[in-house]
Amino acid sequence: MESFAKNSAAFSSGLLGNWSTDRRQVLKALVGTSAALVTGAGFTGIASAQDTKTVVALVQPDISTLGQYLSSALATSLVASKIYDGLLEYDFDLKPKPSLAESFEVSEDGLTVTFKLRPGVVFHDGKPFTSADVQFSILEVLKNFHPRGSINFKEVEAIETPDELTAVFKLAKPAPYMISALSGYEAPMVPKHLFEGTDIRDNEQANAPIGTGPFKFVEWRRGQFVRLEKNENYWQPGLPKIDRLVFRYIPDAGTRTAAIESGEVQVAGFGAVFYSDVRHLETVPGMEVTQKGYEMISPVVEAHFNTKRAPFDQVKVRQAISYALDRQFIIDNVWFGFGKPATGPISSNFAATGLYTSDVRNYNVPDRVGQAKKLLDEAGFPEKEGGIRFEMTIDPTPYGEEWRRFGEYVIQALNTIGIKASMRYEDVPTWLKRIYTDYDYDMMLSWISNLADPVTGIHREYHSNSIRPGAVFVNATQWSTPETDALMDQAANEKDPARRAELYHQFQKLVVEAAPTIWIMELQFSTVTSDRVKDAVVSPLGLYANFAQLDIV
Amino acid sequence: MVRFIARRLIQAIPTILMILVLSFFLLRLAPGDIADVMAGESGGASEEYVEQLRQQFGLDRSLFIQLATYIKNVATFELGYSYRQNMAVSELILSRVGPTVILMLTSFAISIVLGIVLGIVAARNVNRPVDRLISLVSTLGYATPLFWVGLMLILIFSITYRIFPTSGIEDIAAFNEGFARVRDIAWHLVLPAVSLSLFYIAVYTRLMRSSLLEQSKMDYVVTAEAKGLPRRKVVYGHVLRNALLPILTMAGVQIGSMLGGSIIIESVFGWPGMGLLAYEALFARDLNLLTGILIVSSVMVILINVVVDVLYAVVDPRIHLK
Repeated sequence: MESFAKNSAAFSSGLLGNWSTDRRQVLKALVGTSAALVTGAGFTGIASAQDTKTVVALVQPDISTLGQYLSSALATSLVASKIYDGLLEYDFDLKPKPSLAESFEVSEDGLTVTFKLRPGVVFHDGKPFTSADVQFSILEVLKNFHPRGSINFKEVEAIETPDELTAVFKLAKPAPYMISALSGYEAPMVPKHLFEGTDIRDNEQANAPIGTGPFKFVEWRRGQFVRLEKNENYWQPGLPKIDRLVFRYIPDAGTRTAAIESGEVQVAGFGAVFYSDVRHLETVPGMEVTQKGYEMISPVVEAHFNTKRAPFDQVKVRQAISYALDRQFIIDNVWFGFGKPATGPISSNFAATGLYTSDVRNYNVPDRVGQAKKLLDEAGFPEKEGGIRFEMTIDPTPYGEEWRRFGEYVIQALNTIGIKASMRYEDVPTWLKRIYTDYDYDMMLSWISNLADPVTGIHREYHSNSIRPGAVFVNATQWSTPETDALMDQAANEKDPARRAELYHQFQKLVVEAAPTIWIMELQFSTVTSDRVKDAVVSPLGLYANFAQLDIV
Repeated sequence: MVRFIARRLIQAIPTILMILVLSFFLLRLAPGDIADVMAGESGGASEEYVEQLRQQFGLDRSLFIQLATYIKNVATFELGYSYRQNMAVSELILSRVGPTVILMLTSFAISIVLGIVLGIVAARNVNRPVDRLISLVSTLGYATPLFWVGLMLILIFSITYRIFPTSGIEDIAAFNEGFARVRDIAWHLVLPAVSLSLFYIAVYTRLMRSSLLEQSKMDYVVTAEAKGLPRRKVVYGHVLRNALLPILTMAGVQIGSMLGGSIIIESVFGWPGMGLLAYEALFARDLNLLTGILIVSSVMVILINVVVDVLYAVVDPRIHLK
């Protein structure tokens, strides 16, 4: 460091003095200063994080709130799911496991669900977690303020608290899907004593949350990072395994990949690393890449028709276009192989619970183009001069560059069946308003997360009561039939799993036949970790799980 | 001088007011609002939720009422509230001014010093190989996009040689304090500052070279040489001083455009400054925050230009401030 000071002194005196005569000295000082910076400072960079076990994970996009009870946004969920626990966790078959609730029991009629809570659990501020917190979290907070709370807990009329460790949910109708919506990510348990009597949306907890989770909130420097520290009083003995967890925000995709490759960041998931870069990182020694841990999110890439606008109000036109798109080509060339062809509205991840069926009309056949042309002829759109049948516009979702590539492919594919398409690419708010408020589009490309149950993830795209201008990621095709509505309504309250699966199978057949949407592919997100990191993905919620078992060696 | 400064500052008030009104309406011309974005991020939200947001943010009131409220607030130095970030706009901006000022001042110093030095070297060796080389390099620096330079520097110095960190302002795993922290920040500053400087080094080099060459053809140079002054005194005592005036003008302009350039550099290097804040506010339709940033940066540019005007008088005694 001494040389650094000396060099800077020489530098500044050279600059202020008659520097024309000793240019050489100035140059020498310049070189010396930068060398000192490099060697001197390089030292601190390497010496970091030796005594405390620290893991740095990427968060992308930037965090706008840490109030998991207010928002299910990706960035919020990545961070806050470590601070909050839910009543339950889930295994890879999407079956519930105990968490804050040690056990639960559903009554014969499906109208009463009784949770036995774990004794001795305390919030980060030392106050005990009791059934009163469960009651308050569900009824006062989640049901009113969580974006999906009014769907998840629609049937919950009351929660009784006979003692501190028992919470009895009283339902208006059986709600089998509710059991899948009790993770810390979907339904965080918040401390009643810090919310009661306050304006819940404006509560300071959204900036500095207190939960029962394995990590305690310490500091949030906006645009930079959130720092969490180990919760020493966590209810699971010996956990969490690491001392410090930092979520870091890096806006540029290229820089994010560089930060992983250089080892500054050890965990990254969802879309944080661009698909082509994932393929690159797979080849870098010391990196591990997995597609596990998105089973309760199940994103499906789709193309949606505006079924209220001609000619897309005709089933045959929609089916023709469904045939025209080559799913495998899109997977291989737009998404670098990260996906598998989708068959219908419900992701094959639901095969584990029996809800998925592949026994539907198959649009992915060898003679796709011939079928498409035939259907268009039948629908009354013969090829006119120049081989063109009609023109249309495509609106890809503006959440990433790959959507534009996808749009370019669709234009070409449609060209081969005589449809002249053009693409419009706008920013997020403009696109959301065009699609979900104004319905001013022909076909749009987007994706939807199927989440933990069709009631939360899928009904919103097909039910008539989800045609609601102004609400986003709902039924933008404006397609519905009384028959499919009835099937969804019945399935939502059907407590017999086999019967419920049967209802959804019928639903899938009908929707796929009507083709309001083209189901392209089940998107596979990748989680990239340094091989020093162990157990980053231990649940179908992947990086949305609580990281209690995460370790670094 | 004091009267001059005071007058310039008073003149700045209508300018700022115009910027405020214009940006207020221009930004609101864009379709979609913050409630759409926040609902979109949540991956599906009920319409009651969206309506609840709009009411809370005051988006259901008329534009003119919104504007009147805003101007009233700004007059009392209250820049409003960012609903997206759950924080007062002034607080957010204040936390980001520091990194941007550090980055800009460093780049400014690097580029003006190196630009002047290289310009002098080129002008004194006009049409020799050194001059040609400097011209070639500065043309390259001038033409290369900022983000590309940034990414290449990361690739070379962070991944291949692992000398500098890829991004950020400090090592967030270590949480250094005191002098170690200062050193850590300086270390993180190197790549972004160098990237941001390259373009401006090129600008100053070319400007300095041509300005020096132009001045050296002036009559006063002949006079000075006729008096028998040594070459060095002519160049550094007379020519250089006159040639610096255009550089000063450029410096005033540069500060404004550097704010623009810093948006790119800050997002490539994850440098948590105002540029990055503006970039995000724009895409989230966080209009309170965006307008706040525009006001603060225009005030900064205006102040800097006042300083430049004062400096003119210092460098060139022929200029009087009235």
